[in-house]
Amino acid sequence: MSVLQSSCPSCGGPIEFTAGSTIVLVCPFCRSAVARTDRGLQDLGKVAEIAETQSPLKLGLKGTFNGQRFELTGRAQMRHELGGYWDEWYATFSNGWVGWLAEAQGRFYLTFYQPMPQATELPSFASIQLGQFVEGIPSKTPLMVQEKGTATSAAADGEIPYKLVPGEQSDYADLAGKDDAFGTIDYSSDPPWLFIGKHVTLDEIGLGDARSVTREARRVSSEAMRCPNCGGPLNLVAPDQSERVTCPNCNSLLDVNQGNLTYLKALTPPPDQPDFVLPVGADGTFADGTKYRIIGAMVRGVTIDGIKYFWHEYLLYEPTIGFRWLVHSDNHWNFVEPVNPADVTQGTPGIIQTVTYNGQTFKIFQDAPAVVEYVKGEFYWRVEQGETVRAVDYVAPPKMLSLEMTSDEMNWSLGTYMTNAEVEKAFGVKDLPKPWNVAPNQPFTARFYYTWGFLPVLLLLIIAIFLIPFTGLTNTVLSQQIVLPPMTNSAAPQTTFSQPFDLKGNRNVRISATAPVSNSWADLDVDLVNDQSQDVESVDIPIEYYSGVEDGESWSEGGPDQDAILSSLPAGKYTLRVEGTWQNWQQQMPVTVKVEQSVNRGVNFCGAFVLLLIIPLLNLFRKFSFESKRWKDSMFSSSGSDE
Amino acid sequence: MFKKSLYIGFAVAVLIGYMAAGWFGWEVANSGSRSRLGMPFIYNGFHGGK
Repeated sequence: MSVLQSSCPSCGGPIEFTAGSTIVLVCPFCRSAVARTDRGLQDLGKVAEIAETQSPLKLGLKGTFNGQRFELTGRAQMRHELGGYWDEWYATFSNGWVGWLAEAQGRFYLTFYQPMPQATELPSFASIQLGQFVEGIPSKTPLMVQEKGTATSAAADGEIPYKLVPGEQSDYADLAGKDDAFGTIDYSSDPPWLFIGKHVTLDEIGLGDARSVTREARRVSSEAMRCPNCGGPLNLVAPDQSERVTCPNCNSLLDVNQGNLTYLKALTPPPDQPDFVLPVGADGTFADGTKYRIIGAMVRGVTIDGIKYFWHEYLLYEPTIGFRWLVHSDNHWNFVEPVNPADVTQGTPGIIQTVTYNGQTFKIFQDAPAVVEYVKGEFYWRVEQGETVRAVDYVAPPKMLSLEMTSDEMNWSLGTYMTNAEVEKAFGVKDLPKPWNVAPNQPFTARFYYTWGFLPVLLLLIIAIFLIPFTGLTNTVLSQQIVLPPMTNSAAPQTTFSQPFDLKGNRNVRISATAPVSNSWADLDVDLVNDQSQDVESVDIPIEYYSGVEDGESWSEGGPDQDAILSSLPAGKYTLRVEGTWQNWQQQMPVTVKVEQSVNRGVNFCGAFVLLLIIPLLNLFRKFSFESKRWKDSMFSSSGSDE
Repeated sequence: MFKKSLYIGFAVAVLIGYMAAGWFGWEVANSGSRSRLGMPFIYNGFHGGK
């Protein structure tokens, strides 16, 4: 088809189909959807006016994708069956391509119609399963079903390349693949149509400047909103995206439908639950500099073994990024962001169920139905008390992968552990309640001590080896037998001297003595006398040896040899002065004395070894204790330690 | 970070002490009355016979 100028069949106003692929044009004067057919123009009925959002896009914007220029020429606004809207922008390319730029919750997906190969059929809407990889799709990467649902054509603007019928409902399935691959199966026609593309950023498609575009958004006026139950004023942060809001004055849950509020029910917080520690409306600047506002907060609970556990979740909002979550559980905090389901792969089947994301393996921690117990603020979906999803948590501290699954949708998200100090800094608050146990993905912060802490031990071994030439090559400097004459009485010691010998400096000294004792003792006081300075270093060398037979078994204690170790002494000539007493004092005592240097004794090494091991071993013990506390709250505690 | 620095300082001190003891012939546990470390760390003297 070609460019066509004509008049609107409804109001007669001039209309122009500028793109050859355009099927339907929304009349800018009367908002009739005008279709061009073989028999002329057809009025399909009035379409609602687009509910303006904070989207940076607008009709007429020009961008580039894969070197091809395009222009946004149409816009269809679709309503999700669970509430909420998303925009689909019709991109007309200069080379004739037709693309769709879908915009949902701050993310953008550019897709193109993709014909299916011959003899290949797409699965029916009824048979398609969440998490299933759709076979036969002409895509570089396998695509998994992320969501299935029914969309309603709510509003449109500009030119649309298909026969848009206002209010018409159509089934769809969203697909996701690795490397940001994205696809949609549109079941509005038979056979269904397949669109394949990828998640893009505005910079990637030459629309980066669109962020700075300002326009007079016809946003729902928050000033005009009042609670239909109590009449109190309501201030909505994201009125164009919110589907539910609670009234801060009367605690009513209200439905939001493009500015129209409807009273649903009065909410009561669960009993014995602490209030939210961060207020709805608070702004927080996170480590990457992004400033989010808390627009909603909810209490969720899970029942395990009959015991109900609660936690708080804060919905964060930033217009150009979309929604994020801040989870507060047992006074631990997690910043949570969405994850492409196709980037999560199941681990190798085994005793411990695992998944892999971004090259990291996560172990299953919990698998239980999570229930919404109470809400406060505004939400982008039709949240309800009692809303239940299957929640599965996998942990790899400090990260936690969470799967939330309903019959129609599966969402993966990645939580990153935040310390209280980080949350306090982000929100400018003080004295947040302290955590009282170990969180599922809380990192053990002393890992350094039981990993790198063993490096000094290794260094000690290396140093010990290199020190052997200095400490371990024993050198004998004296070996002499001396005879102590019989003592005059049992208390009067006898003394004698060795021959002089030389000691080197910086070498330890070992003095050994051997005496022929048998069931007796000898006590030697040995003085090492420096012949030049007359300095004396004294050691006591006791020798005792006892043996016998008792109850038919022989025993012995002690021995005829004994020694004493000294630290190094100044180099020089020395003499041993040996003064002795012994049990058989009436007899002489022949004693063999030996003086050695550079004796490899090992006590210094053992002392250093023990000192260096204390902290690594202590922290290893703490680590095991920490992991034990972490996993005791898990349904899969057999998963054990994470390392 | 402070604790890590403290631990690294402690480990370096132990290693340097061990090297110095090896080089200068110091024995942490020795029987000398006036060891080069100033006093015997462990005195294994005789305390009387049977």
